[in-house]
Amino acid sequence: MKYDVVVVGAGIAGPIVARNVAKEGHSVLLIDKKPAIGAPKQCAEGINIGVFEKHNIPYDKRFINREIYGARLYSPSGYTLEMRYSRVSGVILERKVFDKMLAFYAARAGADVLPRTEATDVIREDGKIIGIKAKKEGEPIEIRADILVAADGVESTIARKAGINTYAPPHEFDSAYEYEMLIEGFDPDLIHLWFGNNVAPRGYVWVFPKDEDRANVGVGINSDNPMTAKYYLDKWLKENNIPFKKILEVNVGVIPVGGFLKELVKNNVLVVGDAARQVNPMHGGGMAEAMEAGAIASKWIVEALKEENFELLKNYTTEWWEKDGKRLERVLRVRKVVEHLTDEDLDVFIQTLSGIDAEKIAGGRYSEVIKTLLKHPKVLMSPRRIALLKELL
Amino acid sequence: MTEKIRIIVNEDKCYLCGGCAGVCPSLAIKVSSSKWEFFQDKCISCRICVTACPVGALEAEVVEGKT
Ligand SMILES: Cc1cc2nc3c(=O)[nH]c(=O)nc-3n(C[C@H](O)[C@H](O)[C@H](O)COP(=O)(O)OP(=O)(O)OC[C@H]3O[C@@H](n4cnc5c(N)ncnc54)[C@H](O)[C@@H]3O)c2cc1C
Ligand code: SF4
Ligand code: SF4
Repeated sequence: MKYDVVVVGAGIAGPIVARNVAKEGHSVLLIDKKPAIGAPKQCAEGINIGVFEKHNIPYDKRFINREIYGARLYSPSGYTLEMRYSRVSGVILERKVFDKMLAFYAARAGADVLPRTEATDVIREDGKIIGIKAKKEGEPIEIRADILVAADGVESTIARKAGINTYAPPHEFDSAYEYEMLIEGFDPDLIHLWFGNNVAPRGYVWVFPKDEDRANVGVGINSDNPMTAKYYLDKWLKENNIPFKKILEVNVGVIPVGGFLKELVKNNVLVVGDAARQVNPMHGGGMAEAMEAGAIASKWIVEALKEENFELLKNYTTEWWEKDGKRLERVLRVRKVVEHLTDEDLDVFIQTLSGIDAEKIAGGRYSEVIKTLLKHPKVLMSPRRIALLKELL
Repeated sequence: MTEKIRIIVNEDKCYLCGGCAGVCPSLAIKVSSSKWEFFQDKCISCRICVTACPVGALEAEVVEGKT
Protein backbone atom coordinates (compact mmCIF):
# COMPACT_ATOMS: atom_id res chain seq x y z
CA MET A 1 0.00 0.00 0.00
CA LYS A 2 1.34 3.44 -0.91
CA TYR A 3 -0.24 6.81 -0.19
CA ASP A 4 0.79 10.45 -0.28
CA VAL A 5 -0.24 10.77 3.36
CA VAL A 6 -0.99 8.27 6.12
CA VAL A 7 -2.85 9.59 9.15
CA VAL A 8 -2.70 7.55 12.37
CA GLY A 9 -5.72 8.15 14.59
CA ALA A 10 -9.34 8.93 13.66
CA GLY A 11 -10.29 11.03 16.68
CA ILE A 12 -10.79 14.70 15.91
CA ALA A 13 -7.50 15.92 14.46
CA GLY A 14 -6.88 12.94 12.15
CA PRO A 15 -10.11 13.07 10.13
CA ILE A 16 -9.84 16.85 9.68
CA VAL A 17 -6.36 16.42 8.18
CA ALA A 18 -7.48 13.44 6.07
CA ARG A 19 -10.56 15.27 4.75
CA ASN A 20 -8.75 18.50 3.92
CA VAL A 21 -5.83 16.81 2.16
CA ALA A 22 -7.98 14.28 0.26
CA LYS A 23 -10.25 17.09 -0.92
CA GLU A 24 -7.27 18.55 -2.79
CA GLY A 25 -6.87 15.32 -4.75
CA HIS A 26 -4.06 13.65 -2.82
CA SER A 27 -4.14 10.01 -1.77
CA VAL A 28 -4.71 9.66 1.95
CA LEU A 29 -5.16 6.73 4.33
CA LEU A 30 -6.74 7.28 7.76
CA ILE A 31 -6.41 4.42 10.25
CA ASP A 32 -7.64 3.82 13.78
CA LYS A 33 -7.07 0.96 16.16
CA LYS A 34 -10.70 1.03 17.30
CA PRO A 35 -13.10 -1.36 15.60
CA ALA A 36 -15.78 1.35 15.63
CA ILE A 37 -14.41 4.84 15.11
CA GLY A 38 -15.45 7.06 18.02
CA ALA A 39 -16.23 4.26 20.47
CA PRO A 40 -15.53 4.09 23.31
CA LYS A 41 -15.50 7.84 23.79
CA GLN A 42 -13.19 9.54 26.26
CA CYS A 43 -14.83 12.92 26.47
CA ALA A 44 -17.41 15.14 28.17
CA GLU A 45 -18.46 16.14 24.64
CA GLY A 46 -18.68 19.90 25.18
CA ILE A 47 -17.63 22.16 22.31
CA ASN A 48 -17.96 25.78 21.29
CA ILE A 49 -20.59 26.54 18.65
CA GLY A 50 -18.09 28.39 16.45
CA VAL A 51 -16.20 25.29 15.28
CA PHE A 52 -18.88 24.08 12.88
CA GLU A 53 -18.69 27.05 10.55
CA LYS A 54 -14.98 27.55 11.06
CA HIS A 55 -14.07 24.01 10.06
CA ASN A 56 -16.83 23.44 7.55
CA ILE A 57 -18.58 20.74 9.58
CA PRO A 58 -22.34 20.30 9.07
CA TYR A 59 -24.47 21.26 12.09
CA ASP A 60 -26.04 17.82 12.06
CA LYS A 61 -28.59 16.90 14.74
CA ARG A 62 -27.36 13.32 14.56
CA PHE A 63 -24.32 14.23 16.66
CA ILE A 64 -25.70 17.12 18.68
CA ASN A 65 -27.23 15.97 21.94
CA ARG A 66 -28.05 19.34 23.35
CA GLU A 67 -27.56 23.04 22.75
CA ILE A 68 -26.08 24.95 25.67
CA TYR A 69 -26.66 28.59 26.60
CA GLY A 70 -23.86 29.19 29.10
CA ALA A 71 -22.21 27.97 32.25
CA ARG A 72 -22.62 28.03 36.02
CA LEU A 73 -19.55 27.86 38.25
CA TYR A 74 -19.74 26.79 41.92
CA SER A 75 -17.19 27.76 44.59
CA PRO A 76 -16.29 25.45 47.50
CA SER A 77 -18.72 27.22 49.87
CA GLY A 78 -21.48 27.34 47.29
CA TYR A 79 -21.15 30.81 45.74
CA THR A 80 -22.15 30.67 42.10
CA LEU A 81 -21.24 32.54 38.97
CA GLU A 82 -23.64 32.24 36.07
CA MET A 83 -23.01 33.19 32.47
CA ARG A 84 -26.19 32.78 30.46
CA TYR A 85 -26.63 33.98 26.90
CA SER A 86 -29.68 34.51 24.75
CA ARG A 87 -28.12 32.47 21.95
CA VAL A 88 -26.59 29.01 21.84
CA SER A 89 -22.97 29.21 22.99
CA GLY A 90 -21.96 25.57 22.72
CA VAL A 91 -23.21 22.05 22.24
CA ILE A 92 -22.86 18.69 23.91
CA LEU A 93 -21.98 16.27 21.14
CA GLU A 94 -22.50 12.56 20.75
CA ARG A 95 -18.85 11.83 20.06
CA LYS A 96 -19.40 8.26 18.99
CA VAL A 97 -21.39 9.64 16.08
CA PHE A 98 -19.33 12.81 15.63
CA ASP A 99 -15.94 11.08 15.27
CA LYS A 100 -17.42 8.54 12.88
CA MET A 101 -19.02 11.28 10.79
CA LEU A 102 -15.71 13.19 10.64
CA ALA A 103 -14.13 10.00 9.27
CA PHE A 104 -17.09 9.69 6.88
CA TYR A 105 -16.47 13.23 5.60
CA ALA A 106 -12.81 12.26 5.07
CA ALA A 107 -13.86 9.13 3.19
CA ARG A 108 -16.34 11.11 1.10
CA ALA A 109 -13.59 13.59 0.23
CA GLY A 110 -11.56 10.71 -1.19
CA ALA A 111 -9.54 9.32 1.74
CA ASP A 112 -9.34 5.60 2.46
CA VAL A 113 -10.37 4.78 6.03
CA LEU A 114 -9.47 1.61 7.91
CA PRO A 115 -10.69 0.93 11.46
CA ARG A 116 -9.25 -1.89 13.60
CA THR A 117 -5.87 -1.05 12.10
CA GLU A 118 -3.22 -0.26 14.64
CA ALA A 119 0.06 1.41 13.76
CA THR A 120 2.79 -0.47 15.58
CA ASP A 121 5.94 1.27 14.34
CA VAL A 122 7.41 3.47 11.66
CA ILE A 123 9.42 2.13 8.71
CA ARG A 124 12.80 3.76 8.19
CA GLU A 125 14.95 3.54 5.09
CA ASP A 126 18.33 5.27 4.99
CA GLY A 127 17.34 7.15 8.15
CA LYS A 128 14.15 8.49 6.56
CA ILE A 129 10.63 7.49 7.58
CA ILE A 130 8.91 5.99 4.56
CA GLY A 131 5.77 4.62 6.15
CA ILE A 132 4.35 2.64 9.02
CA LYS A 133 3.99 -0.91 10.16
CA ALA A 134 0.48 -1.77 11.24
CA LYS A 135 -1.76 -4.62 12.27
CA LYS A 136 -5.04 -4.83 10.42
CA GLU A 137 -7.41 -7.19 12.20
CA GLY A 138 -4.29 -8.89 13.57
CA GLU A 139 -2.50 -9.24 10.22
CA PRO A 140 0.77 -7.33 9.85
CA ILE A 141 0.79 -4.85 6.98
CA GLU A 142 3.14 -2.15 5.74
CA ILE A 143 1.85 1.18 4.53
CA ARG A 144 4.19 3.43 2.62
CA ALA A 145 3.59 7.15 2.53
CA ASP A 146 5.46 10.37 1.74
CA ILE A 147 4.05 12.09 4.82
CA LEU A 148 3.07 10.63 8.19
CA VAL A 149 0.60 12.39 10.48
CA ALA A 150 0.59 11.28 14.12
CA ALA A 151 -2.91 12.09 15.36
CA ASP A 152 -2.77 9.23 17.80
CA GLY A 153 -4.05 11.05 20.88
CA VAL A 154 -2.54 11.21 24.31
CA GLU A 155 -0.62 7.95 23.90
CA SER A 156 1.36 9.47 21.02
CA THR A 157 3.17 6.18 20.50
CA ILE A 158 3.65 6.74 16.79
CA ALA A 159 4.74 10.33 17.28
CA ARG A 160 7.34 9.11 19.77
CA LYS A 161 8.45 6.20 17.57
CA ALA A 162 8.95 8.74 14.79
CA GLY A 163 11.44 10.53 17.04
CA ILE A 164 9.26 13.44 18.18
CA ASN A 165 9.62 13.75 21.90
CA THR A 166 6.07 14.37 23.08
CA TYR A 167 6.83 13.31 26.64
CA ALA A 168 5.78 15.54 29.55
CA PRO A 169 6.05 14.96 33.31
CA PRO A 170 2.96 13.57 35.10
CA HIS A 171 2.08 16.90 36.70
CA GLU A 172 1.36 18.16 33.19
CA PHE A 173 -1.51 15.71 32.72
CA ASP A 174 -4.96 15.48 34.25
CA SER A 175 -6.57 12.14 35.07
CA ALA A 176 -10.26 12.11 34.25
CA TYR A 177 -13.17 9.86 35.17
CA GLU A 178 -16.77 10.30 34.08
CA TYR A 179 -20.20 8.70 34.22
CA GLU A 180 -22.85 9.27 31.62
CA MET A 181 -25.78 8.95 33.96
CA LEU A 182 -29.28 9.94 34.91
CA ILE A 183 -29.14 13.05 37.03
CA GLU A 184 -31.77 15.59 38.00
CA GLY A 185 -31.92 19.02 39.56
CA PHE A 186 -29.50 20.85 37.24
CA ASP A 187 -30.47 23.42 34.67
CA PRO A 188 -30.04 21.41 31.47
CA ASP A 189 -29.38 24.53 29.39
CA LEU A 190 -26.07 25.23 31.15
CA ILE A 191 -22.87 23.34 31.81
CA HIS A 192 -22.02 23.20 35.52
CA LEU A 193 -18.53 23.28 37.05
CA TRP A 194 -17.58 22.81 40.73
CA PHE A 195 -14.22 23.94 42.06
CA GLY A 196 -12.40 23.22 45.30
CA ASN A 197 -9.26 21.54 46.54
CA ASN A 198 -11.25 18.74 48.15
CA VAL A 199 -13.67 18.52 45.25
CA ALA A 200 -11.17 18.25 42.42
CA PRO A 201 -7.53 19.15 43.10
CA ARG A 202 -6.33 21.43 40.29
CA GLY A 203 -9.43 20.64 38.21
CA TYR A 204 -13.18 20.59 38.52
CA VAL A 205 -16.24 18.39 38.63
CA TRP A 206 -18.47 18.85 35.60
CA VAL A 207 -22.07 18.18 34.68
CA PHE A 208 -22.60 18.48 30.91
CA PRO A 209 -26.30 17.89 30.17
CA LYS A 210 -27.20 15.60 27.26
CA ASP A 211 -30.90 15.54 28.11
CA GLU A 212 -33.24 17.02 30.72
CA ASP A 213 -32.25 14.23 33.10
CA ARG A 214 -29.08 12.73 31.57
CA ALA A 215 -25.56 14.16 31.64
CA ASN A 216 -21.86 13.50 31.46
CA VAL A 217 -20.78 13.85 35.08
CA GLY A 218 -17.04 13.75 35.53
CA VAL A 219 -13.92 14.98 37.26
CA GLY A 220 -10.40 15.91 36.22
CA ILE A 221 -7.54 16.06 38.74
CA ASN A 222 -3.78 16.36 38.55
CA SER A 223 -2.32 13.05 37.31
CA ASP A 224 0.29 12.92 40.05
CA ASN A 225 -2.39 12.96 42.76
CA PRO A 226 -2.08 10.03 45.18
CA MET A 227 -5.84 9.40 44.92
CA THR A 228 -7.62 8.41 41.71
CA ALA A 229 -10.06 10.51 39.69
CA LYS A 230 -12.69 7.83 40.33
CA TYR A 231 -12.22 8.32 44.08
CA TYR A 232 -12.94 12.06 43.74
CA LEU A 233 -16.02 11.64 41.55
CA ASP A 234 -17.62 8.96 43.72
CA LYS A 235 -16.88 11.09 46.81
CA TRP A 236 -18.50 14.16 45.24
CA LEU A 237 -21.61 12.23 44.23
CA LYS A 238 -21.95 10.78 47.75
CA GLU A 239 -21.37 14.13 49.47
CA ASN A 240 -24.00 15.77 47.28
CA ASN A 241 -26.49 12.94 47.79
CA ILE A 242 -26.63 12.28 44.07
CA PRO A 243 -27.72 8.69 43.47
CA PHE A 244 -25.39 6.85 41.12
CA LYS A 245 -27.19 3.68 40.30
CA LYS A 246 -28.37 4.70 36.84
CA ILE A 247 -25.12 4.82 34.92
CA LEU A 248 -25.13 4.37 31.17
CA GLU A 249 -21.38 4.63 30.51
CA VAL A 250 -18.05 5.00 32.26
CA ASN A 251 -15.38 7.07 30.50
CA VAL A 252 -11.75 7.25 31.49
CA GLY A 253 -8.78 9.17 30.17
CA VAL A 254 -5.71 11.29 30.66
CA ILE A 255 -5.55 14.87 29.34
CA PRO A 256 -2.35 16.78 28.52
CA VAL A 257 -2.77 20.20 30.16
CA GLY A 258 0.75 21.35 30.81
CA GLY A 259 2.25 22.88 27.72
CA PHE A 260 2.84 22.39 24.05
CA LEU A 261 5.41 20.84 21.77
CA LYS A 262 7.92 23.32 20.43
CA GLU A 263 8.51 21.34 17.24
CA LEU A 264 5.40 19.90 15.65
CA VAL A 265 7.21 18.58 12.59
CA LYS A 266 10.24 16.39 12.10
CA ASN A 267 11.19 15.90 8.44
CA ASN A 268 8.08 14.33 6.89
CA VAL A 269 6.25 13.60 10.17
CA LEU A 270 3.66 15.94 11.72
CA VAL A 271 2.05 15.62 15.12
CA VAL A 272 -1.43 17.03 15.79
CA GLY A 273 -4.02 17.21 18.57
CA ASP A 274 -3.59 15.55 21.96
CA ALA A 275 -0.45 13.83 20.67
CA ALA A 276 1.09 17.32 20.43
CA ARG A 277 -0.56 18.28 23.74
CA GLN A 278 -2.63 20.91 21.89
CA VAL A 279 -5.26 21.18 24.63
CA ASN A 280 -6.63 24.20 26.47
CA PRO A 281 -4.74 23.85 29.78
CA MET A 282 -7.41 25.71 31.72
CA HIS A 283 -10.44 23.54 31.04
CA GLY A 284 -8.89 20.49 29.37
CA GLY A 285 -10.95 20.84 26.20
CA GLY A 286 -8.99 19.71 23.18
CA MET A 287 -11.45 19.16 20.35
CA ALA A 288 -11.44 22.72 19.01
CA GLU A 289 -7.66 22.86 19.37
CA ALA A 290 -7.29 19.53 17.54
CA MET A 291 -9.43 20.86 14.68
CA GLU A 292 -7.45 24.08 14.45
CA ALA A 293 -4.12 22.23 14.44
CA GLY A 294 -5.48 19.74 11.90
CA ALA A 295 -6.58 22.59 9.63
CA ILE A 296 -3.17 24.29 9.78
CA ALA A 297 -1.28 21.02 9.33
CA SER A 298 -3.36 20.02 6.32
CA LYS A 299 -2.86 23.41 4.67
CA TRP A 300 0.92 22.93 4.75
CA ILE A 301 0.74 19.26 3.73
CA VAL A 302 -1.19 20.31 0.63
CA GLU A 303 1.38 23.04 -0.11
CA ALA A 304 4.31 20.67 0.43
CA LEU A 305 2.83 18.05 -1.90
CA LYS A 306 1.97 20.63 -4.54
CA GLU A 307 5.44 22.21 -4.48
CA GLU A 308 7.16 18.86 -3.85
CA ASN A 309 9.02 20.62 -1.07
CA PHE A 310 8.72 19.00 2.35
CA GLU A 311 10.59 21.86 3.98
CA LEU A 312 7.25 23.70 3.77
CA LEU A 313 5.82 21.35 6.39
CA LYS A 314 7.76 23.28 9.02
CA ASN A 315 5.38 26.18 8.44
CA TYR A 316 2.79 24.19 10.37
CA THR A 317 4.87 24.66 13.52
CA THR A 318 5.34 28.37 12.83
CA GLU A 319 1.72 29.07 11.97
CA TRP A 320 0.32 27.03 14.87
CA TRP A 321 2.53 28.82 17.37
CA GLU A 322 1.56 32.16 15.87
CA LYS A 323 -2.19 31.48 15.83
CA ASP A 324 -2.90 29.14 18.74
CA GLY A 325 0.31 28.49 20.64
CA LYS A 326 0.85 32.03 21.91
CA ARG A 327 -2.78 32.30 23.09
CA LEU A 328 -2.65 28.89 24.79
CA GLU A 329 0.63 29.76 26.51
CA ARG A 330 -1.20 32.71 28.11
CA VAL A 331 -4.02 30.37 29.19
CA LEU A 332 -1.39 28.06 30.67
CA ARG A 333 -0.05 30.94 32.75
CA VAL A 334 -3.55 31.54 34.12
CA ARG A 335 -3.91 27.82 34.89
CA LYS A 336 -0.66 27.82 36.83
CA VAL A 337 -1.89 30.70 38.95
CA VAL A 338 -5.33 29.16 39.50
CA GLU A 339 -3.57 25.99 40.66
CA HIS A 340 -2.33 27.88 43.72
CA LEU A 341 -5.71 29.18 44.82
CA THR A 342 -7.01 28.10 48.22
CA ASP A 343 -10.68 27.27 48.73
CA GLU A 344 -11.13 30.67 50.36
CA ASP A 345 -9.58 32.37 47.31
CA LEU A 346 -11.97 30.46 45.07
CA ASP A 347 -14.90 31.61 47.22
CA VAL A 348 -13.78 35.24 47.10
CA PHE A 349 -13.09 35.22 43.36
CA ILE A 350 -16.32 33.51 42.34
CA GLN A 351 -18.33 35.71 44.73
CA THR A 352 -16.71 38.83 43.25
CA LEU A 353 -16.93 37.66 39.65
CA SER A 354 -20.68 37.10 39.92
CA GLY A 355 -20.96 40.89 39.96
CA ILE A 356 -18.99 41.25 36.73
CA ASP A 357 -20.45 41.41 33.27
CA ALA A 358 -20.53 37.82 32.01
CA GLU A 359 -19.59 38.92 28.49
CA LYS A 360 -16.27 40.25 29.81
CA ILE A 361 -15.39 36.90 31.33
CA ALA A 362 -16.56 34.74 28.47
CA GLY A 363 -15.07 37.08 25.90
CA GLY A 364 -11.65 36.54 27.47
CA ARG A 365 -11.23 40.19 28.50
CA TYR A 366 -9.26 38.90 31.45
CA SER A 367 -7.32 42.05 32.23
CA GLU A 368 -10.60 43.89 32.90
CA VAL A 369 -11.83 41.01 35.02
CA ILE A 370 -8.59 40.93 37.02
CA LYS A 371 -8.66 44.67 37.53
CA THR A 372 -12.18 44.35 38.99
CA LEU A 373 -11.04 41.51 41.25
CA LEU A 374 -8.12 43.63 42.45
CA LYS A 375 -10.57 46.24 43.74
CA HIS A 376 -12.37 43.79 46.05
CA PRO A 377 -11.60 44.42 49.78
CA LYS A 378 -10.87 40.72 50.45
CA VAL A 379 -8.33 40.80 47.67
CA LEU A 380 -6.85 44.14 48.73
CA MET A 381 -6.27 42.79 52.24
CA SER A 382 -4.21 39.86 50.98
CA PRO A 383 -0.75 40.53 49.49
CA ARG A 384 -0.68 36.88 48.31
CA ARG A 385 -3.93 37.29 46.33
CA ILE A 386 -2.70 40.56 44.87
CA ALA A 387 0.54 38.89 43.83
CA LEU A 388 -1.29 35.96 42.22
CA LEU A 389 -3.61 38.23 40.26
CA LYS A 390 -0.83 40.57 39.20
CA GLU A 391 0.95 37.60 37.66
CA LEU A 392 -1.96 37.40 35.26
CA LEU A 393 -1.89 40.98 34.10
CA MET B 1 20.85 -2.08 44.10
CA THR B 2 18.30 0.10 42.35
CA GLU B 3 14.76 -1.09 42.63
CA LYS B 4 13.18 -2.85 39.67
CA ILE B 5 9.43 -3.20 39.44
CA ARG B 6 6.91 -5.03 37.33
CA ILE B 7 3.65 -3.29 36.49
CA ILE B 8 0.55 -5.45 36.75
CA VAL B 9 -2.85 -4.54 35.37
CA ASN B 10 -6.18 -5.49 36.88
CA GLU B 11 -7.99 -6.26 33.64
CA ASP B 12 -11.39 -6.02 35.27
CA LYS B 13 -10.72 -2.42 36.29
CA CYS B 14 -8.86 -1.28 33.16
CA TYR B 15 -10.76 0.67 30.48
CA LEU B 16 -7.93 0.48 27.91
CA CYS B 17 -7.97 4.29 27.84
CA GLY B 18 -4.26 4.48 26.99
CA GLY B 19 -3.52 7.05 29.68
CA CYS B 20 -0.78 4.99 31.33
CA ALA B 21 0.92 4.48 27.96
CA GLY B 22 0.72 8.23 27.37
CA VAL B 23 2.41 9.20 30.61
CA CYS B 24 5.05 6.43 30.54
CA PRO B 25 8.35 8.11 29.73
CA SER B 26 9.84 5.01 28.11
CA LEU B 27 7.10 3.41 26.00
CA ALA B 28 7.02 0.43 28.42
CA ILE B 29 3.22 0.11 28.11
CA LYS B 30 1.21 -0.51 24.96
CA VAL B 31 -2.57 -0.32 24.94
CA SER B 32 -4.33 -1.67 21.88
CA SER B 33 -8.11 -1.72 21.45
CA SER B 34 -8.31 -5.15 23.06
CA LYS B 35 -5.29 -5.57 25.32
CA TRP B 36 -2.92 -3.92 27.78
CA GLU B 37 0.78 -4.93 27.51
CA PHE B 38 3.85 -4.25 29.64
CA PHE B 39 7.48 -4.42 28.45
CA GLN B 40 9.75 -5.09 31.39
CA ASP B 41 12.98 -4.33 29.52
CA LYS B 42 11.87 -0.76 28.88
CA CYS B 43 10.47 0.06 32.34
CA ILE B 44 12.51 2.48 34.45
CA SER B 45 10.49 1.81 37.63
CA CYS B 46 9.21 5.37 38.00
CA ARG B 47 5.61 4.34 38.93
CA ILE B 48 4.15 7.31 37.03
CA CYS B 49 1.64 5.03 35.29
CA VAL B 50 0.36 3.68 38.62
CA THR B 51 -0.45 7.15 39.94
CA ALA B 52 -1.90 8.50 36.70
CA CYS B 53 -4.43 5.72 36.04
CA PRO B 54 -7.85 7.33 36.67
CA VAL B 55 -9.27 4.14 38.18
CA GLY B 56 -6.34 2.59 40.05
CA ALA B 57 -6.05 -0.40 37.73
CA LEU B 58 -2.25 -0.69 37.98
CA GLU B 59 0.00 -2.04 40.69
CA ALA B 60 3.77 -2.15 40.99
CA GLU B 61 5.36 -5.39 42.16
CA VAL B 62 8.98 -5.15 43.25
CA VAL B 63 11.02 -7.78 41.41
CA GLU B 64 14.56 -6.76 42.37
CA GLY B 65 16.34 -4.60 44.94
CA LYS B 66 13.61 -4.22 47.55
CA THR B 67 14.12 -0.96 49.46
C1 LIG C 1 -12.74 12.40 30.26
C2 LIG C 1 -12.40 13.42 29.21
C3 LIG C 1 -13.27 14.48 28.98
C4 LIG C 1 -13.00 15.41 27.97
N1 LIG C 1 -13.92 16.38 27.73
C5 LIG C 1 -13.73 17.24 26.69
C6 LIG C 1 -14.73 18.19 26.34
O1 LIG C 1 -15.80 18.25 26.94
N2 LIG C 1 -14.46 19.02 25.31
C7 LIG C 1 -13.30 18.97 24.58
O2 LIG C 1 -13.12 19.76 23.66
N3 LIG C 1 -12.35 18.08 24.90
C8 LIG C 1 -12.53 17.19 25.92
N4 LIG C 1 -11.58 16.25 26.20
C9 LIG C 1 -10.35 16.23 25.40
C10 LIG C 1 -10.64 15.65 24.01
O3 LIG C 1 -11.28 14.41 24.13
C11 LIG C 1 -9.35 15.52 23.22
O4 LIG C 1 -8.60 16.69 23.32
C12 LIG C 1 -9.62 15.24 21.73
O5 LIG C 1 -10.29 14.04 21.55
C13 LIG C 1 -8.29 15.22 21.00
O6 LIG C 1 -8.46 14.77 19.68
P1 LIG C 1 -7.30 13.97 18.97
O7 LIG C 1 -7.77 13.71 17.59
O8 LIG C 1 -6.01 14.65 19.16
O9 LIG C 1 -7.14 12.61 19.77
P2 LIG C 1 -8.20 11.47 20.07
O10 LIG C 1 -9.59 11.96 19.95
O11 LIG C 1 -7.77 10.84 21.34
O12 LIG C 1 -7.96 10.44 18.88
C14 LIG C 1 -6.83 9.64 18.78
C15 LIG C 1 -7.21 8.39 18.02
O13 LIG C 1 -6.02 7.69 17.70
C16 LIG C 1 -6.28 6.31 17.81
N5 LIG C 1 -4.96 5.68 17.98
C17 LIG C 1 -4.08 5.84 19.01
N6 LIG C 1 -2.97 5.12 18.79
C18 LIG C 1 -3.15 4.49 17.60
C19 LIG C 1 -2.36 3.59 16.84
N7 LIG C 1 -1.14 3.23 17.25
N8 LIG C 1 -2.85 3.12 15.67
C20 LIG C 1 -4.10 3.49 15.26
N9 LIG C 1 -4.89 4.33 15.94
C21 LIG C 1 -4.42 4.83 17.09
C22 LIG C 1 -7.21 6.20 19.01
O14 LIG C 1 -7.96 5.01 18.95
C23 LIG C 1 -8.08 7.45 18.83
O15 LIG C 1 -9.26 7.17 18.13
C24 LIG C 1 -11.81 15.31 27.22
C25 LIG C 1 -10.92 14.27 27.47
C26 LIG C 1 -11.20 13.32 28.45
C27 LIG C 1 -10.24 12.20 28.68
S1 SF4 D 1 -4.59 4.31 32.58
FE1 SF4 D 1 -5.62 2.70 33.77
S2 SF4 D 1 -7.58 2.38 32.74
FE2 SF4 D 1 -6.27 3.50 31.31
S3 SF4 D 1 -5.29 1.88 30.06
FE3 SF4 D 1 -3.90 2.33 31.73
S4 SF4 D 1 -4.45 0.84 33.31
FE4 SF4 D 1 -6.14 0.88 31.87
S1 SF4 E 1 6.82 2.46 36.08
FE1 SF4 E 1 7.38 4.22 34.75
S2 SF4 E 1 8.58 3.30 33.08
FE2 SF4 E 1 7.54 1.61 34.14
S3 SF4 E 1 5.71 1.29 32.93
FE3 SF4 E 1 5.15 2.72 34.59
S4 SF4 E 1 5.45 4.75 33.74
FE4 SF4 E 1 6.48 3.31 32.38
